[in-house]
Amino acid sequence: MSATLHRLFLASLLRRRLATALSLFAIALGVALGLAVQLIHSAAIDEFGRGMRLIAGEADLQLVGARDGFDEAIYPVLAARAEVAEASPVLVIQARLPGREDALEIHGVDLFRLARVQPMLLPRAAAAADAADTRFAALQPDNIFLSDEARAHLSESQQLESGEFAAPALRGGELVLQSGVRSFALRVAGEVPAASASLAVMDIAGAQQHFDRIGVLSRIDLKLAAGVSAQMARQSLATLLPPGLSLRVPEAAASELSTLSRAYRVNLTMLAAIALLTGGFLVFSTQLLSVVRRRREFALLRALGMERRQLLRGLLAEGAAVGLAGGLLGVALGHGLAAAAFKFVGGDLGAGFFRGTQPQLQFDAMLVVGYLLLGIAAGVIGTWLPAREASRVAPARALKAGEGEYAGLPQVRGGWRPGVGLLVIAGLACILPPLNDIPIGGYGAVALTLAAAVLLLPTIARGVLPVLRRGRALSWRLAHARLSATPGQAVVAGAGVVASVALAAAMAIMVSSFRVSVDDWLAQVLPADLYVRASVSSGSGYLDGDALARIAAVPGVATVDTTRQVNLRISDEEPLFTVLARPVRGNWGLPLIAGSSERPARVNAADAAGEIDADLPPAWISEATADRRQIGVGDRLTLPLGGQLRHFIVAGIWRDYARQHGAALIESADYVALTGDQRINDAAISLAPGSDAATVAAALRADFGAEHLSIALPGEIRALSLQIFDRTFLITYLMEAVTVMIGLFGIATTFAALATTREGEFGMLRHLGFTRADIGRLIAIEGALTASLGVIAGLLAGAAIAWILIEIVNRQSFHWSMDLAVPWGALALFASSLIVLAALVARLAGARAMQRSAALAVKADW
Amino acid sequence: MMDTRKDAQQRGFCNASAVIGRRCAALLWAALLAVLVPAPLLAADVAPAQASYPPVLAGKALSFPHDLGAHPDYRTEWWYITGWLHDAAGEERGFQLTFFRVRTLIGEDNPSRFAPSQLILAHAAVADPATGRLRHAERAARAYPELAEAATGTTQVGVGGWSLRTDGGAPDSDRAPYRTHIDAQDFAFDLVFEPGRAPLLNGREGFSQKAPDPINASYYYSRPQLRTAGTLRLDGERFAVKGHAWLDHEWSSEILPAAASGWDWIGINLHDGGSLMLFQMRDAEGRAMWAAGTLGDKAGKARKFAADEVRFEPLRHWTSPRTGVRYPVEWRLHLADGRTLQLRPLLDDQELDSRSSTGAVYWEGAVRLFEAQADGGEREIGQGYLEMTGYAERLNM
Amino acid sequence: MDCHFLLLPPMLTAHALRKTLPGTPPRVLFDTLELQVGAGECVAIVGESGSGKSTLLNCLAGLEPVDGGRIEVGGQRIEGLDEDAMARLRRSAYGFVFQAFHILPHLSLVQNVALPLWLLRTDDKEAEARARTMLTRVGLGTRADDPPHELSGGEMQRVAIARALVHRPRLVLADEPTGNLDPVRASDVLDLLLEQIRDSEAAGVLVTHSRVAARRADRVLELGVQGLVDITERA
Repeated sequence: MSATLHRLFLASLLRRRLATALSLFAIALGVALGLAVQLIHSAAIDEFGRGMRLIAGEADLQLVGARDGFDEAIYPVLAARAEVAEASPVLVIQARLPGREDALEIHGVDLFRLARVQPMLLPRAAAAADAADTRFAALQPDNIFLSDEARAHLSESQQLESGEFAAPALRGGELVLQSGVRSFALRVAGEVPAASASLAVMDIAGAQQHFDRIGVLSRIDLKLAAGVSAQMARQSLATLLPPGLSLRVPEAAASELSTLSRAYRVNLTMLAAIALLTGGFLVFSTQLLSVVRRRREFALLRALGMERRQLLRGLLAEGAAVGLAGGLLGVALGHGLAAAAFKFVGGDLGAGFFRGTQPQLQFDAMLVVGYLLLGIAAGVIGTWLPAREASRVAPARALKAGEGEYAGLPQVRGGWRPGVGLLVIAGLACILPPLNDIPIGGYGAVALTLAAAVLLLPTIARGVLPVLRRGRALSWRLAHARLSATPGQAVVAGAGVVASVALAAAMAIMVSSFRVSVDDWLAQVLPADLYVRASVSSGSGYLDGDALARIAAVPGVATVDTTRQVNLRISDEEPLFTVLARPVRGNWGLPLIAGSSERPARVNAADAAGEIDADLPPAWISEATADRRQIGVGDRLTLPLGGQLRHFIVAGIWRDYARQHGAALIESADYVALTGDQRINDAAISLAPGSDAATVAAALRADFGAEHLSIALPGEIRALSLQIFDRTFLITYLMEAVTVMIGLFGIATTFAALATTREGEFGMLRHLGFTRADIGRLIAIEGALTASLGVIAGLLAGAAIAWILIEIVNRQSFHWSMDLAVPWGALALFASSLIVLAALVARLAGARAMQRSAALAVKADW
Repeated sequence: MMDTRKDAQQRGFCNASAVIGRRCAALLWAALLAVLVPAPLLAADVAPAQASYPPVLAGKALSFPHDLGAHPDYRTEWWYITGWLHDAAGEERGFQLTFFRVRTLIGEDNPSRFAPSQLILAHAAVADPATGRLRHAERAARAYPELAEAATGTTQVGVGGWSLRTDGGAPDSDRAPYRTHIDAQDFAFDLVFEPGRAPLLNGREGFSQKAPDPINASYYYSRPQLRTAGTLRLDGERFAVKGHAWLDHEWSSEILPAAASGWDWIGINLHDGGSLMLFQMRDAEGRAMWAAGTLGDKAGKARKFAADEVRFEPLRHWTSPRTGVRYPVEWRLHLADGRTLQLRPLLDDQELDSRSSTGAVYWEGAVRLFEAQADGGEREIGQGYLEMTGYAERLNM
Repeated sequence: MDCHFLLLPPMLTAHALRKTLPGTPPRVLFDTLELQVGAGECVAIVGESGSGKSTLLNCLAGLEPVDGGRIEVGGQRIEGLDEDAMARLRRSAYGFVFQAFHILPHLSLVQNVALPLWLLRTDDKEAEARARTMLTRVGLGTRADDPPHELSGGEMQRVAIARALVHRPRLVLADEPTGNLDPVRASDVLDLLLEQIRDSEAAGVLVTHSRVAARRADRVLELGVQGLVDITERA
């Protein structure tokens, strides 16, 4: 069999090099995209996990809470417990570097606790000239120790978004840092030799003092007593913990992060899967056409005694070979893509989940084998139907000369029922609830819709083609007639187009809706004239009452409203929850979709629970919070604030595109009353009539020092946000482009194959007086018509998929709603360019038909 | 290059110990710093005491029970207990525990509870002839309420779950018993110490000069003949134990001269109910540069020995198979009252080798004291502890 | 025999045609070949396999270049024409019948027949009317709107004949038009072809290796290296 296999089947792949190469490449692209997404993600998670291990060291458990830290009162309680052999308190500061856009992660540590728990963070003092205060170098509050990476990084000047260069933060052995709105310098007293990450270590007391975090810890790393398991300790210690704190094993940090990025990652993997699916369609097209062309060859082989199963196996081997080769190429390409991604965009897949990590590409044999198998599967499945069809041909009939040249093309007449059936199932799938935040029903509906669109292609052709019959030109008529008579050809050639157009159109509609909604949303949430912040919410810069008073005193400032943003840990399942403390009205907008900015009149009895909820302070929750917790206006919301559980009454639900994991807004006064936290992250300024934003900004910069504040006009924030938005979707655009390319391959391979089978037809037409150009035009029109059908089906499917993406996938993955905004112009441009491209591609692929001598062509029987 | 570095390390080690004070755990603390701070920096520690440490002056009267507690203004302070224990089977073992307080002058203006202005350190060891070596462990922390503290007014000091405090019905009396809890990996003990008599002041009414210059001095009292009972755990095995112990409490700001390289110290409970404390300071050549002692009787009356009234004579050396350091483990002691005494160790190997953790290497162990008899024989007259420091670095030279 | 065509100027004139096949040395297929076919006349060309019958036909159709000589169709010389001009000439002046029929399966019979008229941009209605007439003439008038896949081989060739003549060409070239048909049908189809050529007053050139078929033509010419030899009498 193997010699036969080689000569009859595999060799056939080499004879049709273009088609084989294109299907191979399509599979390779699908495999590469999927693999690259996996590789990038697992490398980023690995890198993050490595970083966590470095920081967690030998800790068995970590106590974590709100990102801004928690009251250190729990520290002596835990440290004194018998289960705990050592408790190492850590205060992590994201220190703002004045004038620069990067931050330094400083670990404020207790040297005496470090050695047994986090030995990798042990500092080592450098030999400095000034010996007087180096006696307790690692205890001195003004000393800081830098890892090699941090030192290298901080010694460099940094190019800012504005294009200017900021000076190195580390100069003359001193590191300038910002706390609040003031700068101070720490002396670099040595290194952190074992830390292979960009971080700094200093004494915890110095960190608390310098960054005004007295009494606050970010983490307590625990080493448990001998014989105490992490599980036992979690149980016995849990009762001691105030609300909002959680004990977890250090590895949980990485899996938590993995959870946070999961929805986005699944999204990308789905795109890759569609690319692979399109590749599978392509194999189907080329194999089908190849089988059609070799019909008589197979009939002869059967007549000569080849078993049906041998034939089937031979053909499947062809598909598997294409799949394997494509898979191998894809694996190589995927690693290349991942490496390139690490080099140019870092490991966060463009969505910012892993910002700052520098992952290393790792070879994962299981993953590679998995994707190779996927490639092979695409090849084999794509070949299955054509192979079965070929093996069923009755040899005698196929051998008879003069049988129709496209006998064997799928007879897909009248089959609207399966397509519509799939659509109905897709509709039902949309009702399914998400599984672990993964909208499986939604993704299922997307796949079903795609399949339905392909199946309905002939139906659509029958509906659309009569409308196009008007054409007068002979080429048009012939092309039209051919497509009308053989909708099967449209399926074969257009399936890839349908899938890719559907995907691209769906993404375009979804992204456009999203972008328009985000833009509207930004306009709503940023109604003030000027915004001021000292650093991002978890950074070391902040505003206080004094700073506010200074801002208010600047001439031209009419009113100032403030925001305090803190990230809470609600539970192990909800590791990231944002509380915004700010006025509901005023210089910050709130895009409410339910409720009002007033306290709700009606309070749900179910939540009363014996308490008088009417007295509870109001809270406005984001859509994600409403979705995840299944609560609405009038319900009760409980949050761990200031180490206690606090209750609120939900007054409204607002749209929030910034915080996928849930947020709640409460009044500043309520927040301060409950927590005593007076810090302010952002201030929104409305100007007095007649004042100029630029003048006020200049006055603020002069007062506080330009390097201590970021001052932005709402327009700038909007532009920046949209820029980030576009960057996030860049990778999806790339993947769409690849899929569209694969769809065009489908046109190319089909027409290349058809050109060979239709040589007789073209020869006859040449005899009748067609010029070569006429033939080219005919093929181009056929290509364009085929693509048009694919595009029409694709656009219809795309619209449906866009709806699924917006209403099901986004709602369930990210919990945000958006208003539909169809980019008509872009879609029209895309559709028409695709049709033109298809015409070109078909024309190029069919070039062979025009080269051949017309005289010989009419003679050829096969 | 290498030589310079090595030399610097040795000097650093030596000088750090000199700054901080007397005994073993001072070395431990020095060693801890040596891990964190390269030696050349420590070499600079011979800088004069900062003005904010109060000087130790003669003539200041100690008052009890207040002076049982901590004196956080002074640079260094320790509570140091050594003793002998025997179990029901008659097995004899030595034990030692020390709590240190160090004032760093760092972060005294810092409202953070983590401010490292006071450090608390502890060290404990058990000498068990059955295992032939010392078991020891240490703790170190910055002072933090409830976790690491040295209280004033009464003895109450703790770090990392270890503690030493006065206990019993009369906490305000200077006769109140002490209670300690030490729990390390391969040993633990819970002991109660009954003083039975008032503190015994060393030197001039508690002013103990350490070197020819009186600036090098400490406030120093001892609690000899502590009746001791409690439990001892060795690995998994628990014993009810009884015995006698000795407590030193000493605080100072500038205890040692720069020229000192090490010291030898003994604290012996005499079988007649009396007590003997002797120490000598050695210079870089190993010669005694200062010495002193206190001989107490059963009633607590003391005879003080001045620097020229005490002489240490090494008799027999033992070389550590681990570190190669050679220690004089048997001594002859010459006292001004004409008595000649001999010290013999409970076991030779009572070397404290913590190179793997703090890096400190010294000898501290249970010893018996013998006195020559008129008949030519000798008689055991007491049991106690001997501490010898500063031998390791000399060997390395 | 009706010899009225002798009175008219020839529809097809080939003079001193020379064709060699490339190679070393080049093989001469024919040299100084002379052929004249009048309107309404049908000439059969016979010859051994490989003698160059099909090549001659291709040369006459302007699909293959000649190495020397002159070809006139309806008085127009074709050897100098470029490919596109030749294609345009074929639209109006030529009709073709192939051995393998080459009926487009996706067009109905009437559409297949109207194909040459579409090429000539004839008005749609007229084209359809003429195609139907033509189909009626070949006996398939009732099936004009059927798709071709239900037809037998003989019927296919009838459609092909209708297509070849619907636009009233001056020259009809047929290469083994009965090669794929059984003898009875072959005879019918041949009769139809000759009859239609004569009725349209076109010139017909029929290449065949069937002497039986050839005998039906007005003249039978045998192709050899020396040219065409009239063997009408012998055939």
